[in-house]
Amino acid sequence: MIFAEWKPLDELIDKLKSHNKLLLAGCATCVAECAAGGEKEVETLAPLLRMALKKHGCSIEIVTCTIEKQCEWEFVEELAEKAEEVDAIMSIACGIGTQALAERYDPIPVYPGVNTSALTIREEDGLWVARCAACGDCVLGETFGYCPIARCAKSLLNGPCGGTRKNGKCELDEDVDCIWNLIVERADERGQLESLSQMKKTKDWSNSRHGGPKRVIREDLR
Amino acid sequence: MIQYCTILFKEFITASEVSSVCMVPKSSEGYILSCFYVWEGNMGSKLNRGNQDREVVLLCCQHCLNGEAKDSIWSLGAQGVSIRTIMMPCSSKVEVPYILKILEAGADGVEIIACPKQSCKFLVGSLRAEKRIEYIHELLEKIGYAGERVGISRKLSQSPEELFDIAKARAKAIENLGLNPMKGE
Repeated sequence: MIFAEWKPLDELIDKLKSHNKLLLAGCATCVAECAAGGEKEVETLAPLLRMALKKHGCSIEIVTCTIEKQCEWEFVEELAEKAEEVDAIMSIACGIGTQALAERYDPIPVYPGVNTSALTIREEDGLWVARCAACGDCVLGETFGYCPIARCAKSLLNGPCGGTRKNGKCELDEDVDCIWNLIVERADERGQLESLSQMKKTKDWSNSRHGGPKRVIREDLR
Repeated sequence: MIQYCTILFKEFITASEVSSVCMVPKSSEGYILSCFYVWEGNMGSKLNRGNQDREVVLLCCQHCLNGEAKDSIWSLGAQGVSIRTIMMPCSSKVEVPYILKILEAGADGVEIIACPKQSCKFLVGSLRAEKRIEYIHELLEKIGYAGERVGISRKLSQSPEELFDIAKARAKAIENLGLNPMKGE
């Protein structure tokens, strides 16, 4: 899922001080799963902002709404009625949702309430870990299902860096596995260690962010 | 025969959670609840603005009150403290937004009445409540509110007198903080 975290409350409060009526918009998909921007988080953030702004002497009215997806125009349209009545919108969806609202409801200012930071899996309750870096040239087939781009601190493609701890953890964080240690262990379990020694094609980064803004066209779907 | 009474919370819980929170079992054998609380949206609007009493809301797990407390919980009151009670199916049902909305509505303090850690009927319910309270403390401190406004008490078979004492203790703890700024002008 796309992972996001609330921005610092001080930053949000500063943005809202000059407004009279705000629509706080949540998204019930990825950011709800990572407990940052779903209905529950909207209903948590709204009273917090009201209390904080009142303390700053600002009387702002905050209305709330959580839609299924802020990254689909059909759902974005559901906010139209409420958006007409406000002078600002704060989205606590990912950057995609925030931009969709900014485009649809221009010229109403749309502020991001979260920082979108990773593509994660919920490993256990309250713990999300990065699993994908959207690099555009997936190597999971050669690395036994472990992503060295997202899960190695140095995104190494040709083996561990030499800083792996004796217990198989990363030198930067004792709670994080050295992903190359896991890759080698799984290769060994499958009797395919020699596959890691084979020469590999140079990774194509042009399909990642390095290739400029992504634009994909599928004529069969147009 | 099990009957159900409805707790009405308007603007208090999110719509998707209404069904799970609002139905509280009530039986003729007195097994579960004998009271319910009607929430009318903005509690602050119901407050006596001139009243300097500290208003404390007790969110009570139904499993840690004795029969007398369940029967008389409506009539709780004490000098210097205005007490409101809300019965919950379990303290784990206390979600973060509930407490923030109670504070936003003007309550000076909130106390969760929960079972001891080893006695929760749902095993980890009261532990979850405690973690949420810690999270609320962090959030409140970030916006300049004292975390002392929210607390938790653990004991089984709480009597009405003990609930009085808990509410008074919470009121005492927040005495120096002044009234909740959200009470309005």
